[in-house]
Amino acid sequence: MMTKLYLSLKYGAILIWSAFVIAPFLWALTTSFKTASGVTGGPTYIPWLQYEPSLSGWRSLFSSGAGGIDVVKPYIDSVIVTGCASLISIVLGCLAAYGLSRFTYRAGFVKNTDLVFFFVSQRIMPPIVLAIPFFLMLKWLGLLDSKIGLIFVYVALLLPIAVWILVDFFNGIPREIDEMAILDGCTPFEAFRRVILPNSLAGIVVAGMFCLIFGWNDFFFAFTLTFTDTQLLPVAVVALNSSVTPWWSLSASALISVAPLLLIAFVVERFLSHGTLAGAIR
Amino acid sequence: MSLQLHDIGLVVEGVAHLDNIEVEFERGRLTTVLGRTLAGKTTLMRSIAGLQRLDRGTVQVDGRDYSRLPTWQRDIAMVYQQFINYPHLNVYENVAFPLRRKNLSEETIRQRVDAVLEKVGLSAFERRRPSQLSGGQQQRVALARALARESDILLLDEPLVNLDFKLREQLRSELRSLLTQQQHTIMIYNTTEPVEAMLLGDTVVVMHDGRVLQIGTPARVFDYPASRAVAQVVNDPPMSFIEGRKTDTGLELTRSVTVPLPPHLRDLANGNYRFGIRANELRLGGSTLQGRVTFSEVSGSETFLYLDAPTGPLALQIEGVHVLEEGRNVGIEIPADRLFAFELDAGERLLAAPATGAAS
Amino acid sequence: MSSIRLHHVGHAYAAGSYALQPADLVFEHGKTYALLGPSGCGKTTMLNIISGLLQPSEGQVLFNDTDVTLVPTARRNIAQVFQFPVIYQSKTVFENLAFPLQCRKWDRERIARRVDEIAGMLGLSDRLGRPARGLTVDEKQLISLGRGLVRDDVAAILMDEPLTVIDPQMKFELRRRIKQAHAYARVTVIYVTHDQNEAMTFADEILVMKNGRVVQRGTPETLFERPLNPYVGHFIGSPGMNFLPLERRAQSLALAGLPIAGVTTHPPAGEIMLGVRPEHMAFTDPSDRDGFPAMIEGIEDHGSARVVEVSIGGHRARMKLSRDKAVPPPGAPLAVRFNRLCLYVDGELLE
Repeated sequence: MMTKLYLSLKYGAILIWSAFVIAPFLWALTTSFKTASGVTGGPTYIPWLQYEPSLSGWRSLFSSGAGGIDVVKPYIDSVIVTGCASLISIVLGCLAAYGLSRFTYRAGFVKNTDLVFFFVSQRIMPPIVLAIPFFLMLKWLGLLDSKIGLIFVYVALLLPIAVWILVDFFNGIPREIDEMAILDGCTPFEAFRRVILPNSLAGIVVAGMFCLIFGWNDFFFAFTLTFTDTQLLPVAVVALNSSVTPWWSLSASALISVAPLLLIAFVVERFLSHGTLAGAIR
Repeated sequence: MSLQLHDIGLVVEGVAHLDNIEVEFERGRLTTVLGRTLAGKTTLMRSIAGLQRLDRGTVQVDGRDYSRLPTWQRDIAMVYQQFINYPHLNVYENVAFPLRRKNLSEETIRQRVDAVLEKVGLSAFERRRPSQLSGGQQQRVALARALARESDILLLDEPLVNLDFKLREQLRSELRSLLTQQQHTIMIYNTTEPVEAMLLGDTVVVMHDGRVLQIGTPARVFDYPASRAVAQVVNDPPMSFIEGRKTDTGLELTRSVTVPLPPHLRDLANGNYRFGIRANELRLGGSTLQGRVTFSEVSGSETFLYLDAPTGPLALQIEGVHVLEEGRNVGIEIPADRLFAFELDAGERLLAAPATGAAS
Repeated sequence: MSSIRLHHVGHAYAAGSYALQPADLVFEHGKTYALLGPSGCGKTTMLNIISGLLQPSEGQVLFNDTDVTLVPTARRNIAQVFQFPVIYQSKTVFENLAFPLQCRKWDRERIARRVDEIAGMLGLSDRLGRPARGLTVDEKQLISLGRGLVRDDVAAILMDEPLTVIDPQMKFELRRRIKQAHAYARVTVIYVTHDQNEAMTFADEILVMKNGRVVQRGTPETLFERPLNPYVGHFIGSPGMNFLPLERRAQSLALAGLPIAGVTTHPPAGEIMLGVRPEHMAFTDPSDRDGFPAMIEGIEDHGSARVVEVSIGGHRARMKLSRDKAVPPPGAPLAVRFNRLCLYVDGELLE
């Protein structure tokens, strides 16, 4: 019973919510093109009409020294740490999830489902609980303030997500396909590599995406465990907060932090809806 | 080359899924394993493939213990009930998959794949993915992959059961010609349908409750079922059983129904037996017995009538499609010369069988 | 009495491509109908239009002369049984069956009596107290069916391939129950299936469908004895009907050069075919004037019968012989006669 009123209410609600979600980005976008003078004296929104747009905020991202915040190095550090951690998590996650999906483990009363829960439950803890243990561990290993140390920690945090998503996907692939591959001459590992993995692309992509997003956005552990040698993007951006906050540089750096994730999401969404992945899963 | 199963046993949670199985299979022969669901056919097949661990017994190929070999080193091809193909590969690659594992040349692979796809009628679908094919076509791909391998052993686990009626009919005949061409392979075919066992097998192995009840040619098993259990498995629609007594003059089927003594039962000792008669040998009309229709079922070009009679439940097969309403009374004639006689005790062995029909 | 009438009902998803061709159909009260055909033939579309889950792109649906085309499913007083049992897992069998009556505010006495009655008919009396979760699939399907039957104001029961998930051993039992339920409740039953045996066992009348159209409608016997076109002739019966092309002669029709006896009427112009069921062919002596020379191409042993493939003048046909009939030895000259046949002109039965 789609009456006109109901439809307009529905679309109205969607528009309002969209506006709510997009507003911060719009604000950051417009602010990033302002200069010091543009920020003082009342809020202004529309470029060229209400204020003069300038690229100074964007330029400062690349220069170090006075007024510059050099976002390039933190950017690279973030990419390396998040990328490596996600990659390792996916690889280990695939192997763990396949084991949990296909083989039966018993240790007393602990069964497969308990093991999966054990993995997933790592994420239930508030991060702050882990702050001190991780700090101490990395200190003892001499890995504080290093990319490698951070990668270790991130793997510990991202692996549960990967396992959780992948176990579900592997369970959706009929066991008979594994058997068919083995009958056709593949060792169990070959069967995994040649048959199961190609059919789990969707799952791997989704798990990968989650890992990248959670890893990239992490502020807490990057803040606690690194100081000067290694600086990740979220930390670098927050560090801009001082008595005189360069809002335009801040906005620009905030936007640039989000950009890679947007790009990945865009590419994956195209990929998924294209049916390339959908066909592989049936 | 021969495949021998020796004293195979498997017990799961106190229930014997396989018990004391002793069978030998020869190269170039097609053996059907016939039994109801849960008779142990699939378990047996999976044991041969190495996918199922056994409690007892050995699987030997040419005298060598096969169970030492992991599944991927055995030369076995299998076709499942559910159409199993590799979803991420097209038809050509699906069929070529096992051949690639064997490191054959690209030339050889192409030749074999093309030949097999031709045989199953899928040459035009080489580039398609399994998800784009119908059920029947998917099963043909699975079959093509199994045949292209030219393996030592070919296992087919009720491959037609998930197809609809007409398709099953068609593929059955095709399978028969495809499989009889394989001269170097040991072929084992699981089924619940007696028709398939009759049609396809050189030999039929009848299984029930994890045991092998009888092994023989289709004609042998059909005309001389070793026991009542075999007769039940081998006849669809089911054989009707009537408890009765043999005297010097005739067979007393109930207090009021007596049929004359047929020649083939004359030598039986007088006493109580369980007599059996096939559904298509009971006749409608006649006055031997009165029965009440409980259900009538159409199957293909025949109608099966299920009746309640003083002698117990009966199943009757008539030609053509005839719908009889429930509750209707019909007269039934029991031709005594077509009766089987089984012992009444535990084994329920066959004691006498009617003469077989005219030779073909 | 509530009859269901489809008035010029058709359904097209996109312009011009009809899932269901426009047609007029009447389903009389109290009879069982089967919509039979392969997937994609339109049978589920038609069922969904009758139930109200789908609104036809053209035409009207009438229940007892009342236009219900726009009436939602819940108000059409129909019961539906789907491929998968649809029950409340957490409730007991009794509660499942009682639920529709509770919604209608019946008093407890009346509900208990009615549920006992229906449960008894379906053979579920001894399981009324059990939680539905623990039952087997076929028992759950019976509950689905029972839920539709408890209401005494049901106009029709619509079933969409309800035996799909049932184990083959249990199918027999379930078919019996459904048939009994129908005899008991005497409502209209419309049953969708792709299995011709199921349709022929159940229905008073079968509608064979192909490509969105009903190609023949009749009792099981009619469909078997007089299929209106080669599609039905092939689809019904196992093996399906044989079709052999005929040539026209001055006074008669000929197969492989020999005239067919007994055909005197002049058929209209068009391609002529002979349709004959494998059961209605028999071997005969070559001297038989009504016989046609044939060669045996293959023999299949089907247990209670044998299927012999023969070629008559280059055309293949299959014959069905019961096991006790002798198949002529190889090498002997053979002839085949037709005991009953149909003629088809351009794919349509000649009456």
